[in-house]
Amino acid sequence: MKIVVLTKAAVPLSSAIRIDPKTGTLIREGVPLTVNIWDRDAVEFALRLKDRYGGEVIALSMAPPSGIPALESLIGMGVDRAILASDRAFAGADTWATAHVLAKTIEKYIPDYDLVVAGEETIDSTTAHIGAQTASWLGVPYIYYVYDAEVKGRTLVVRRFLEDEGVDEVYEVDMPAVISVLKGSQIPREVRLSRKLNAREYIQVVSNKELGLDPECVGLRGSPTLVAGMAPATYPPRKKVVIQGEPSEVVKKLVEILKSEGVV
Amino acid sequence: MPCRLWPPINKEDYRGVWVYLEREGDRLKDVGLELLGKARDLAQKLGGVEVAGVLVAGGEDLAREAIYHGADKVVIIDNPDLKIYTPAEYAEAIARVVQKYRPEIFLIGATKRGRELAAYIANTLATGITADCTALEIDPKTRDLLQIRPTFGGTQLATIRTPQRRPQMASVRPGVFPKPPRDPSRTGEIIVEKVEITKRRTRLVSIEKRLEKDIADLPPVESSDIVVAGGRGLGTAEGFKLLVELAKLLNGTVGASLMAVRAGWVPHTRQIGQTGKTIRPKLYIAVGISGAIQHLMGITEAKMIIAINPDPHAPIMENADYAVVGDYKQIIPMLIEELKRLKNQS
Ligand SMILES: Cc1cc2nc3c(=O)[nH]c(=O)nc-3n(C[C@H](O)[C@H](O)[C@H](O)COP(=O)(O)OP(=O)(O)OC[C@H]3O[C@@H](n4cnc5c(N)ncnc54)[C@H](O)[C@@H]3O)c2cc1C
Ligand SMILES: Nc1ncnc2c1ncn2[C@@H]1O[C@H](COP(=O)(O)O)[C@@H](O)[C@H]1O
Repeated sequence: MKIVVLTKAAVPLSSAIRIDPKTGTLIREGVPLTVNIWDRDAVEFALRLKDRYGGEVIALSMAPPSGIPALESLIGMGVDRAILASDRAFAGADTWATAHVLAKTIEKYIPDYDLVVAGEETIDSTTAHIGAQTASWLGVPYIYYVYDAEVKGRTLVVRRFLEDEGVDEVYEVDMPAVISVLKGSQIPREVRLSRKLNAREYIQVVSNKELGLDPECVGLRGSPTLVAGMAPATYPPRKKVVIQGEPSEVVKKLVEILKSEGVV
Repeated sequence: MPCRLWPPINKEDYRGVWVYLEREGDRLKDVGLELLGKARDLAQKLGGVEVAGVLVAGGEDLAREAIYHGADKVVIIDNPDLKIYTPAEYAEAIARVVQKYRPEIFLIGATKRGRELAAYIANTLATGITADCTALEIDPKTRDLLQIRPTFGGTQLATIRTPQRRPQMASVRPGVFPKPPRDPSRTGEIIVEKVEITKRRTRLVSIEKRLEKDIADLPPVESSDIVVAGGRGLGTAEGFKLLVELAKLLNGTVGASLMAVRAGWVPHTRQIGQTGKTIRPKLYIAVGISGAIQHLMGITEAKMIIAINPDPHAPIMENADYAVVGDYKQIIPMLIEELKRLKNQS
């Protein structure tokens, strides 16, 4: 099985997000990009399929060169090789333009893929668009929120969970296909330092010189959506009454408040 | 010259505000009705254009329900192959109908299935889409939809446009807009469209309700008037038992911050915030939650917020109506005792 895993080198959850007050853009300096946490579920899922059925797992990412360490850590997890689609022309892409580059990279460099595995969403964009858009670009079926799968000939039998309806569903999907992996559903394996040491050798960087995409259809210019404004989020005013003192006094006041609000 | 894969179109050819009406079995999900309410508001700002809903394989009773909630028209996609939901096939069929009627705006509820469908539909229509909008406005000059969504971890609100393409697409989480009142005197048009799909490549094999053991069978956070939420400051899963007890006494439910979910104390269906649920309870009690901006985003529409935290400078204290400075381990058990005493009196 040839499996492509889409992974984003994202701003990690733990880092304090800082905004340039002048431009309203994210300050990336000094913020090391790491693999989007939910993509580690996707990588683990792909590696488990490979453990069972054999084949190859290829990580694919569109990112600036600062995304390389993230891919190195995936090689350390056991991914066979990685492709980084990286070009100044790709900067500022919306999800349409990002999926465009990812799909064209797959078609050119991994045309014989059986399965594309994405994470459920990214921690810094949280759109969950890219999986479906990549499927649309590739013209293949797709399914989200998968936590288990089995190969039966040319179909993949997947189990998935819909959190908001509380249901488990089993689907058969014809391959090639795109799936996204339910976040938190896998226990990602450790990064092995021995593999990570020469990881760079397994990472291929491709630019738009190789991909040859119309520069009008990638990056900021190739994005049908446009960020027209950015403003700090503001919240409605609150009363801000401070209550402190002996716990028994505090509780008395709390009960009064609950009573006057008709809660008790 | 813009990208030739999505060349500019004649925007005059596109009119009306459309909404995807998601079904759950034999009923409509609330989010579709909520969006009809918002669609009416947008349609009025666009000079009184039509509001319509798209329903896949649903009965006329459901279409009428949508009309009672604000639709002028409902298109039912009638294809026996589409009785059962599968993403690729549904997305293709919906895109076909939208392509035929050419609305200027198409809104989708960001349920799990909605999020799965939305971006594929947008790609099929070669248009842009913005996920999880929290506000939608109209720029009267250009008729552009201003798609407002939190970004950069919720610290900023981005305003996004799709200036050159139609329809303009946006998804919106359930509960963000209020559900309009049901008015059974409203009338509208119901159209049945036979839509073919190219090829079936996904098949449902089975579906079953998961009997997940959620904490103490409490109602979901999005449908409770009173939510008692806990964060990392609770320190242990035991701490949550106190919150469950308090929530039950108040006839409410229990919610959590991301950190409490990651600690494994609560299932992530109860997470409040940017990557969790947006809620609008009458009362929100935040216990051991610092009030990171991503968390606050989920509770901006709470009528009242009470925070309990020993740190008077925690951001939640600045964003509360009542900021209780103290240790929950002392306050909550005493509060529970007091409430029990009151209950026994009455
Ligand atoms: C893109 C992105 C999305 C995110 N989405 C969400 C989201 O949807 N929801 C969410 O919640 N977070 C989200 N986060 C995480 C968020 O930034 C915070 O990390 C998180 O909300 C903090 O959780 P907490 O308040 O429980 O923990 P902490 O920040 O560690 O706060 C614990 C609090 O408990 C208090 N405390 C300690 N002891 C006691 C005691 N005995 N009694 C009472 N109080 C006590 C402390 O003073 C402190 O204020 C997101 C982050 C990012 C970057
Ligand atoms: N720049 C990127 N490069 C590679 N994969 C990506 C990129 N952005 C998003 N993805 C994939 O798409 C999934 C959904 O991302 P998003 O639509 O940003 O929430 C992620 O979990 C990744 O698997």
